[in-house]
Amino acid sequence: MISLTGVTKVYNGKRQVAALESVDLEIARGEMVSIVGPSGSGKSTLLNLIGGLDRPSSGTIRIDGQSVADLSDDDLTRLRRDKIGFIFQFFNLLPSLSCLENVALPLHLKGLGRQEIDKRARQLLELVQLGSRLDHLPDELSGGERQRVAIARALAFYPPVLLADEPTGNLDTHTGGEILALIRDLHQRLGATVLIVTHDAGVAESCARTVTLRDARIAGDVRR
Amino acid sequence: MILLRLITWPYVRKHLLRSVLTTAGIVLGVALLVGMQTANRSVLRAFNDTVERIAGKAQLQVSAGDAGFSEEVLERVQSLREIRAAAPVIEAEADPGFPGQGKLLILAVDMTGDRSLREYDFDNADENVIDDPLIFLAQPDSIILTREFAGRNHIAIGGKVAFATMLGRKQFTVRGILKAGGMAQAFGGNLGIMDIYAAQSVFGRGRHFDRIDIGLQEGVSLKQGEAALSAMLGPGFTVEPPSGRGRQFESLLGVYTLAMTASSMFALFIGMFIIYNSFAIAVTQRRGEIGILRALGATRGQIRTLFLGESAVAGLIGSATGAALGLIFARTLTGVSATMLESMFGVAQNVQDISANPGFLLFAMAMGTGTSIVAALVPARNAARIEPIQALQKGRYQVLGAGENRLRRNIALLAAALAVACLPLSAWRPAFFAGILLTLLACLLLTPFLSLELSRLLRRPMKWLRPVEGALAADSLIQAPRRTSATVAALMLSLALVVGQGGVARTSLQSIDEWMNNTLNPDMFVSTTENIASHGARFPTSMQQELESVPGIAEIQPERLPRLQFHGYPVLLLSTELAKLGRRVKRHMISGDEETMNRLASQEKGLILSENLAALVKLRLGDNVELATPTGMLRLPVVGTIRDLSNQMGTIIIERSLYIRYFQDDTVDVFRVYLRPGASQEEVRSRIVERMGRQRHLFVMLNREIRAYVAKVMNQWFGLTYVQVIVSMLVAILGIVNTLTVSISDRRRELGVLRAVGGLRNQIRGTVWMEAGAIGLIGLALGIATGAVTLYYELQAIQHDISGMPFAYEFPWGIVALLVPVILFAACGAAILPAESAVRGSLVEALEYE
Repeated sequence: MISLTGVTKVYNGKRQVAALESVDLEIARGEMVSIVGPSGSGKSTLLNLIGGLDRPSSGTIRIDGQSVADLSDDDLTRLRRDKIGFIFQFFNLLPSLSCLENVALPLHLKGLGRQEIDKRARQLLELVQLGSRLDHLPDELSGGERQRVAIARALAFYPPVLLADEPTGNLDTHTGGEILALIRDLHQRLGATVLIVTHDAGVAESCARTVTLRDARIAGDVRR
Repeated sequence: MILLRLITWPYVRKHLLRSVLTTAGIVLGVALLVGMQTANRSVLRAFNDTVERIAGKAQLQVSAGDAGFSEEVLERVQSLREIRAAAPVIEAEADPGFPGQGKLLILAVDMTGDRSLREYDFDNADENVIDDPLIFLAQPDSIILTREFAGRNHIAIGGKVAFATMLGRKQFTVRGILKAGGMAQAFGGNLGIMDIYAAQSVFGRGRHFDRIDIGLQEGVSLKQGEAALSAMLGPGFTVEPPSGRGRQFESLLGVYTLAMTASSMFALFIGMFIIYNSFAIAVTQRRGEIGILRALGATRGQIRTLFLGESAVAGLIGSATGAALGLIFARTLTGVSATMLESMFGVAQNVQDISANPGFLLFAMAMGTGTSIVAALVPARNAARIEPIQALQKGRYQVLGAGENRLRRNIALLAAALAVACLPLSAWRPAFFAGILLTLLACLLLTPFLSLELSRLLRRPMKWLRPVEGALAADSLIQAPRRTSATVAALMLSLALVVGQGGVARTSLQSIDEWMNNTLNPDMFVSTTENIASHGARFPTSMQQELESVPGIAEIQPERLPRLQFHGYPVLLLSTELAKLGRRVKRHMISGDEETMNRLASQEKGLILSENLAALVKLRLGDNVELATPTGMLRLPVVGTIRDLSNQMGTIIIERSLYIRYFQDDTVDVFRVYLRPGASQEEVRSRIVERMGRQRHLFVMLNREIRAYVAKVMNQWFGLTYVQVIVSMLVAILGIVNTLTVSISDRRRELGVLRAVGGLRNQIRGTVWMEAGAIGLIGLALGIATGAVTLYYELQAIQHDISGMPFAYEFPWGIVALLVPVILFAACGAAILPAESAVRGSLVEALEYE
């Protein structure tokens, strides 16, 4: 499903910094994988590259057989919109839009019909048990509820790939556990390939596979 | 200073585009001010320079307005014991027809006596002429040119120069070439000297002179000389030093100068909003930085000084750049102003160089810098008031405090109420001007509140149009009122200016059209120049009979149109055969009965005033008017006031026979020609030109050609003001670019999220364009509303304070209809660069990953 071959990412600032070096990784369809490592090891960079938020300096990334290097910016955006759901640590909900509008965002961007958009957005919020908070603004929700809305948004097109960058990093333990349970539940029900970047050992161990990064390289790959 | 280097400079470098845009408002405002003032000064200085150089050693000049006076006045002047020298002069323009060389100013003098007042420094001359000026006199085709003009046109001694005269196109022989310097530099070097008596026939002066230049006896002061001459000549003559002519010209320029200065100051005022906006946003964005400084021990005074210092530096750089640009603009503007002044007032100018006033440049720079500092006062004060602990917290600080909003609204409503209260007191001018200021204050104070409300109102339709892009664009405006309201205020003011000017133009043109339909109704006009405002040469009265004999012509009405000073205003004295005129022309009466007015005036029992002049000098029907003439005081009652737009400052109309008797002048400036029914205009024109064109220099213009000429002059007049309006618009557009640039920066994360969840670049651009369009729409709505109000005040000011012309209130729907697409297009244009910057850059950085 996801294939990385010799992927390197170098940032050119005052000094050159290699955030990832020669990474080879294969992730099969339907796997739930945690990515762990110390701060600065390249976890988030890896996720950004897979998610199409950034491009590698060298190497190849394939999503569902398609090389992202060959894609134009708009095509990459469409890929990200239709095939990848991204869940951020700090939720990244738009504060002026209601829950329903935030979830509907990708649907509007694709240009679907308004009735269809409304119906699906409501369904998604029901899926994350927030059907009663449709018109609430993000400011009016708890951290856990905001992350649920972000998850619902990420599922807009029922993407085959779900990327979560420290999804519980901004939540208390109890709420984090609920969110993780939700992600696991969605993985089982929807069969999506899930990658979770985490500092939390418990979260890492709950996944079938853990990839460890250290100093911009893969230092370990454990399957359970 | 250290804080400027450590804190300000890195910020400026990081936000270079924004910093440039901040100063651009000041640059444009100062450039306009310097450009307009320098152009005006150059035109005035060129005029004064010519006057002074030609005057030579003359201490006083005797004139009787445009009318001139008869030769016998010279003898009377010469008889005074206070007078050492009295030299008669005729000044006229001639067109020698050299491409791109402009006109010649002909100074016609009596060479026998003129050298006591003027120096003739010959480069080269016929020796006989130098030795014996009577030879110059005896050869009436003689002319002296300057070295500069002769050199430019490759003319040597004995060479010929030809130009149109009242006797047809004549050739003149160059018998002297003046060295450069002194008098030779008058009129930009385009000076020709000829014999005065030859000039009388060539320029149709009859037995008249234009003025007498006076040299006083040793020991006689200017005051004594003036007193002696005035006592002898009477009130119909003006006795003044040569510089007095400059003051008269300046008063002619008065309205024009006022309009230019007002518009320049307005542009600077709008630029002030750009600065205020930039600094207000900067204070918001740099809250964290300010918090750190305060936490580390910077006092409130130091923070305030830091921001004021930044604004002073920005103002200084902007003003210096603006001053330099203004001097470049001035060169073009000078030419345009000179052309317009010649068209409107018949005063030819040959402006070679621009005349920059270092003192004024410093003043303009001080204005620009001062404006910048004043604009930054409130943001600097707000920055100084920031508490460190608040500043170090994250989160937005854009929302207007409810208390702040309420206070502003209450003051605005109070100002509006006071403005309304001033309306019935408008006859007292301080109350009227206070009303204008209060109205503007109310509009400005209400702008943030109205911008916010209109943004909220626009959200629904914008969201309907584009659910994501529209909603986010509207939310951006709603959540950041501080960022938007100053830009909207700048746009509002500049659009109010456009609507105001548009309204004035529309109503003026309508009034002029109506006046032309009623008054300018002859089939054709016979004039000495194409520019009917300029009357260097005049026709002899005998030409009337010649014209009347041309087949196809039913009636000829001669008009003489000198300008003179009346109660301090430069007015037109129109003399014609009023009985004839009354039968052909239907007047727009303001007071009096038309039939009675025409009868009494034609019987020399009264005079007619234009409505605007009557308002300016506060004269009414029946009031007695005294008109100083070369032969004594002419006293007549006002027998009617009419709408007449012949002259900006007003017109006095009297019977021609009365004029001839009192002014001793029977020449004619223009013949109004009415044709017999069925006669062909083109054929009659051809006959006139055929019969008289060879012996006389004349122009025959059909009615439609005159109308086209008047329209052209009006367009020139309004064209110049529209230039200023365009500059004001540019300043406002800069504000939109500035606001959007900051908006993109503020919304970076939001736009990043949009891209992350699948927003295409065009969709991101779309939200920026929609935000720009919304700002444009809000500015339009407020600007049009404000303009509708300020148009009323402008018309009142024109009527009561400037020219006395009463114009009806006509809202310029046409201009407004044009403004909507123009502003929206400009707003979207302003959004191009910010929209591109929104889609560039790292998506990851935009999402603020740790």
